[in-house]
This record gives sequence, structure tokens and C-alpha cells, in this order.
Amino acid sequence: MREKSGKRRPQPGRAMLAAVMLFFFLGFFLLALNDGEWKSFLLAVLVPLIIFIGTAGMSKLFPSDQLLLALTNFLCALGVLVLYRLNPEKGMTQAGNYGVGVACMVACTYVVRYVPRWKWLTVLMMLGSAGLLVLPLVFGRETNGAKNWIYIGNHSLQPSEIVKLALLLCVSWLLSQRRFFPALLFSGMCLGLLMLQKDLGTALLYYGVALILFFAATGSRLLVLCGVAGAGGGAFAGYQMFAHVKRRVAIWLNPWADTQGAGYQIVQSLIAIVNGGFWGVGLGLGNASVIPEYYNDFIFSVILHEFGVIFGLIVLCMYLFIVIRGMMIARRSRTVFHSLLAAGCTAMLALQTFVIIGGNIKLIPLTGVTLPFISYGGTSMVSSLCVIGLLQGVASRNEAGVNEDRELAMQGGGTL
Amino acid sequence: MKKLRKNLRLITVFLILLFVLLAGYGAYSVAVYGNRWFSSSANTFARTQKKNVIPGDILDRNGAVLATAQNGKRVYPGDTASRSATVHAVGDSGSNVNNSAENFFASYLYGFNMSFLERLGYALRGEEKHGDAVRLTIDSRLAQYVSSVFPEGMAGAVVVMNYKTGEVLTEQSFPSFDPQNITTAVKQNPLKPFYNRAIQGLYTPGSTFKIVTAASVIENIPSYETLTVTCDGMLQLGQRLITDAGTDMAAGKVTKHGELTLKKAFTVSCNNAFARLALQLGDLKLRKTAERFGFNDNFLFQDMVVENSSYPTSNRTDGEIAWTGAGQSALSASPLHLCMIAACVANDGVMMEPRMLMSAVSPTGYTRATLSSRVYRRPLSTQQAAVLKDYLRAVITSGTGTAANIPGVKVCGKTGSAEIDTQENTNAFFVGFLDDPNTPYALSIVVENAGGGGSVAAPMAKQIFTWMLKNSNAQ
Repeated sequence: MREKSGKRRPQPGRAMLAAVMLFFFLGFFLLALNDGEWKSFLLAVLVPLIIFIGTAGMSKLFPSDQLLLALTNFLCALGVLVLYRLNPEKGMTQAGNYGVGVACMVACTYVVRYVPRWKWLTVLMMLGSAGLLVLPLVFGRETNGAKNWIYIGNHSLQPSEIVKLALLLCVSWLLSQRRFFPALLFSGMCLGLLMLQKDLGTALLYYGVALILFFAATGSRLLVLCGVAGAGGGAFAGYQMFAHVKRRVAIWLNPWADTQGAGYQIVQSLIAIVNGGFWGVGLGLGNASVIPEYYNDFIFSVILHEFGVIFGLIVLCMYLFIVIRGMMIARRSRTVFHSLLAAGCTAMLALQTFVIIGGNIKLIPLTGVTLPFISYGGTSMVSSLCVIGLLQGVASRNEAGVNEDRELAMQGGGTL
Repeated sequence: MKKLRKNLRLITVFLILLFVLLAGYGAYSVAVYGNRWFSSSANTFARTQKKNVIPGDILDRNGAVLATAQNGKRVYPGDTASRSATVHAVGDSGSNVNNSAENFFASYLYGFNMSFLERLGYALRGEEKHGDAVRLTIDSRLAQYVSSVFPEGMAGAVVVMNYKTGEVLTEQSFPSFDPQNITTAVKQNPLKPFYNRAIQGLYTPGSTFKIVTAASVIENIPSYETLTVTCDGMLQLGQRLITDAGTDMAAGKVTKHGELTLKKAFTVSCNNAFARLALQLGDLKLRKTAERFGFNDNFLFQDMVVENSSYPTSNRTDGEIAWTGAGQSALSASPLHLCMIAACVANDGVMMEPRMLMSAVSPTGYTRATLSSRVYRRPLSTQQAAVLKDYLRAVITSGTGTAANIPGVKVCGKTGSAEIDTQENTNAFFVGFLDDPNTPYALSIVVENAGGGGSVAAPMAKQIFTWMLKNSNAQ
């Protein structure tokens, strides 16, 4: 780990961490003053504590990127805050998800940090992914036109969220070994199974991420052209094949044709955004729960409604910073595998954010993808934090590499 | 590794661009459509918030109070006649009228635009919030006069605007109703009094569209001054037969105009000649001119929601193209847009954006918004506008619009009588303006199912123009 003799490097996340903790303490405290519930007071202490552990605590375990962690934790806690304000029960559950997610994040970081050989693990993950993606087709129930959940007792699970991680690891590893055909085969299989589940939003994500990874590994323009053409063809085929896709596109083109029926969701989302205006109506003062799926697909609209457009832009910037930070980690990596892995993780987060926020503001048709870190749901929270965990793993390896260089430089008497 | 890093840089740029696109599109759509979304009837949040705010007054351009608050609730002062005259512009508290000032300026009237400090001030003082007073460009006396001129019991619309600034002086729809006393008779009236025909009513423009066809001829055919067209009364194109007003096939009566110049064809409003001109121009050129005048555009005016006008783009047979030139076919435009077209000719080819908000002033005297004129488009050159102006003048002096002539005043205009399959009589149209910089007013009149534009609408235009000349000092 970090050697004691080295000069302490500046940590840009420290001041931010304090601000983030204060923000959430005040947020929950405000809600607590309003409803007087002990749970609210509990969260006012608990959430800043998880943030502290999730950010500063991490550096005790491994060299970590504090800025990235602080941003991630802010977004996760923002989800808890907004959900708790709209629906306390969901908020409490989400706080639990958040805690579990942080633990999983640490696990992922350790995996990337310490696993030396990936060959058999990759094979195992590929087989596991195939199995997981077949499950909903066999046991799943159809909701909103897609069949992408499995139910175990009272618990539900979206396998595609977990397979996401396997996809990132396997494709990156295969590409780093220059095994293009298996990589293509595996991503094609995942895509095919998702199409069978009719989960087109997630399929789009997988496709985009796979394409970006292939481009990063090969640098082929032709590939990108073929990929974009393929996506266009696929989108057209999807449009022709699935009735629910056709319906969604029609709603996207003109939601105002039926404001009380088909277009209700998106119309209420847009109205909630303008009702918020620049500065928002204020935490706890809105009525954004009129939007169906406010806790999931439309949570960004809720944030815009209560906190305002300017705050929404800031949240967008936070995602952007995470993306930029992630790509910096990718560029600093020492091995092709780690570099591709970090780039894939970043692209996954970026595309997912784009797809769902784009749907909320009617830039693109709405797909049922979750907003990373913020949307309600255990699987989504855990998988998003795991992606950050993978990124952290790469970052910690970079750090280790930098330290090695430093040591070598000191032994050899050279300078950095 | 080096190549990989280069590829990663490209990917970074791509991902950043995605976020720029999100922020850019979001900001654009909120800025452009925000108020439209806000004033939508589906906005339940605004409806509940309104209950906690004392609504601001709505005033006309001269300061007359059109709507005010009594004990925190909305009331409309005046008598039945004055209230009904402005109801479509002002709106009603029950939101029966769409896109009126009451809806579209709700962000001012109900204090949604208040700054943080103002909100804090109200909270500290413990007072109920008070919305801004909104002053409209509407002239309520003119509106009342127009109501008195409009034929009782008929449906239609009248729009008057200042063609130099784009200020809408009145936009009225008939039949009207009293917002203070909405009876069941009003609700059950088959002519739908709540419907604002001036901005929502899409009419086949009939011969008033010949202004656009003529503009296209002037633009595309250099020899338009010497050009002649022969009208033989009947033009058979496939299934469609083009005839002129007065033709009665059953009685064997056919109106023939013979050989006509463009100006003459315009003044007598010859369908046959304009059908031939449209065919000579071709659909594409005519459509281009029409689109410059705002057809097929998505109107996004800042102060008003105006239904989009359309120039048909599908099913274009020769018969359809010919009828389009004469203003029939599947063309449609709102009375406000027709008024804008006349206003554009009057204003040397510059089409102003219609404005309705003069000012919004907070209870503390802070002016939150004021009128600013904006050019919508420039469909004509000054010369082209001058030629058209001359044609429109000739319509009044020696053509179909002589009933609108006022001795000693340069009235210009164009009549129209649009045939509607389901109606017994034609819809009567008149669009026109006063060609005088001191009285820069353009108007459009539509009376549904009433007869010819020259006989029904033109005399009304004369009365309204006369009133405006007499009362113009206060404008």
C-alpha cells in the first residue's frame, strides 16, 4: 500500500467530502424537522456516515481516487434523499442498498487489485452470464413489454445488471489478449439474449459499450461505421418487430397527442421540470410523485423539479466529472486489460446516464434503463457501485505502479 | 499502448459530447417550450399552487382592468358585453379557454417567476403571495366595437394588429361568452364558444391565399407585369373542375373573365387564372413561397400559441395544385396567421412576430417583462411588397373589395370566399390594412357560413377601420 516515506500527494476530494456530508445532513435534517420522524434523524446521521466510509474510509483499504468516490457517494446519497422524501419506505430500502453497494464496491476493487490471472475466471463468468440471462426467459414475468426480471420469493433481480460487470471484464480481457472472435461471440450472445428478453434499453447499452471497447482495442474506423450502421439496422428491425417499441417511438414524437393516456409519463416529466424552474420548488415542496415511475425511470425529473434546473446541470456535471476521471484512469493504466476495463466501465456509466436522462427530457425515446447511483433498486445500485469498484481497482493498480516507479527512481537516483 | 491511448482520447471526446448534447438540448427545450409546457392543462402542480397566491390583475393597453382579484379569487369586472369581447384573449378562471393570457402568462400572474428574495420576503412578513399585474396589448374598447359589428349568432374570428410592431390589438372569436356567468346554454352551444377561433381555428383561406400565389408569381416569373392568362370559366383537371364565383353548372351559367393580367386577375379574384398560374409555377415554387410566409412552420411565438398553418405536401395532383393556387385544396391557416400575411405586405415585406404582453409588473413595482418587437420573417423584398400593396389597393378601389373603401383613406385588402363541403354558404374572409404610417393597422375577418367575403366581411372591415381612424390617437 501507500509507502510512508513518499510525499503525501494532494487529495482533491477532501474539502468536497465535507461539503457533501454537510449537504446531506442538512437535507435529511430538513425533512426530519418537517415530519418529526426518528427515521429521518437517523438518516441525517447515517447517510453522511456511509458517505464518509465510502469515501475517506476507502483510502485505508487501498490507494483510491477520492474525487471519484466523493462524486459517486454524492449521487448515491442524493438518490436516497429524494426517494426518502417521496416515499420514506423506499428511501430506507435504498439506504440499505447503498450500504450493500459500498461493500460490493470494495469487493470489486479487491478483485481487480489482486486477481493475477483472468483466463479461467473469464471462462467461468462467460458461462455464468449465459445462464443468468437465460433465467428470466424461463422464469420471468413480462412487465412493460419486457421480460427481464426474475423473482425469488419477495425479491426481484435483474440479471442483466450483474451480467453487465461480467461483460466489461470478459470483453476487456479477451480484447487485451487480442482474441477478437470470442469477444465478438460473447457480446453477440449477450445482445441476442437481451433482445429475446425485449429489454432493448439495456441491449442498446451493451451494444454501445462493446462497440466502444472494440474501437479502443483496434482503432478501426470501419468497425465504428459498421457498428453504427448495425445499430441503425437493429433499431429499425426492433421498431418493426416489437409493438411496444413502436408505441414508445410514437409517444416520443408527440407525447402531447394524448396527455392523459400514452403520453402521460413524459408530459408530466416535462411539466415537472418547468415547474421547478431555475431554482426548484424546494425539497419536500413538490408534487413530482404524479409522474408514474418517479422513483425509477424519472428520478432525474424529480430532482430537477425540487432542486431546479441549475442543480440538475450540476448533477449532470458530476456525471461528466466521473466520466472524465474514469477516462483519465483508463489512460494512466499500465496494461491493456486494465485500460480497456476502465474505459468500458466509464463508457457504461456515461451511456446509461445519457440514455435515461435523454429519455426524461425527450431527446430520445424513453427506455427502461436506470439512472446510475440514483434510481431506486438494489440490483441497479449494486451494479453501478461495482462498476465504480472496478474503476477503483484499476486506479489503485495505477497508483501502485506509480509508487513502484518512484521507488525505482529513488534506488537508481533518477528523478521522476 | 500508445495507439490505445489515442483511441481513448477520441472516446473521451465522444462521451463528453453526449453530455453537451444533453445539457444543450435540455436548456434549449426548456427555454423555447418551457412556457408552453407550464401553461398546459395537464399541469396539476400549477393548479394547486394557484390556490395559495392572489392572482395579479390583467389590464388592457390603456390600463382598463380586465381581470382582478376579490378576496383572493379571480373576478372579471365590467358588464357582460365588455367581458365577452375580451374573454378569448384574457381567459377565464375555469380554464375553459385554451392558451389565453390567464394560462399563458400564469407564470407572471401567479408569481411563479418570483425570485428567491421575494419569496423569502413574503414568508417573513407572513403575507399571502401576490402575482404580477400583466398588461396586454389588447384594446378593450376596440374589442367591444368589433363585437357590436360582428353579425349576431354567427361563428368566426377577428384579429387586428399593428403591422409595424406586431402588437395584437384584438383577437376575438365568435360566438363569445361571459366568463363571470357561464351558463349551460354556453356549454352546450354547438358552435363551441370556448374555442378560440382566432388562434386555434384552422380555415381554408380561400382567395386570401392569392396574396401568396401572387407573391410567388412576382418572385419567380420576371415578366409578371406583361403576363396574361386567359380565363374561359372552366378548367378541368382530372377529377377536379375549377370554376369561379357565380358559376352555376345546373343553370348553365358560367363566369368568364377572358384575358387577364396578374393585377386584373388579383383584383377580380379569378380562380381560373390563379389555378393556371399555380400550374405554371409548379408545386415546389409555390410551396417555397408559402413556407416563407410561415406555412408548415412550427410557430413558437413568445407570447401566443398559434395553431400551425399547413401547405399540403402529399397527394399533389394537377387538380390539387391548381386549387391550391386559388386558396382551396388542403390548405389551412388561422385568422391570426392570415392577418400576419396582410401585415407583412403592409410592412414592406417584413413579418413581425405577434405580441400580446405589454408588461408584467410585480406588486412592489418591479418590471419583470416588457414588450419588445421581433421580426418573425422577411418573406418579401420591399419592391415585391410595393407591387402587392398596389394590387391590394386595386381590390378596394375597383375589385371585389369595394365595400371596404373609405374615401380619402388608403385601405388595401383582399377578400375571400372559401367553399366548405359541409356548409350551405361559403366562409367569408377579408384581410387588409391601412397604408398609412400613422395608423399602421392590419386586420383579418372570418365569418363562417355567411356568404361572399366582398359582401359580408368587407363592409365590417370598413366599419372597424373607420373606428380605428377615429380613435387612433390613443393607440
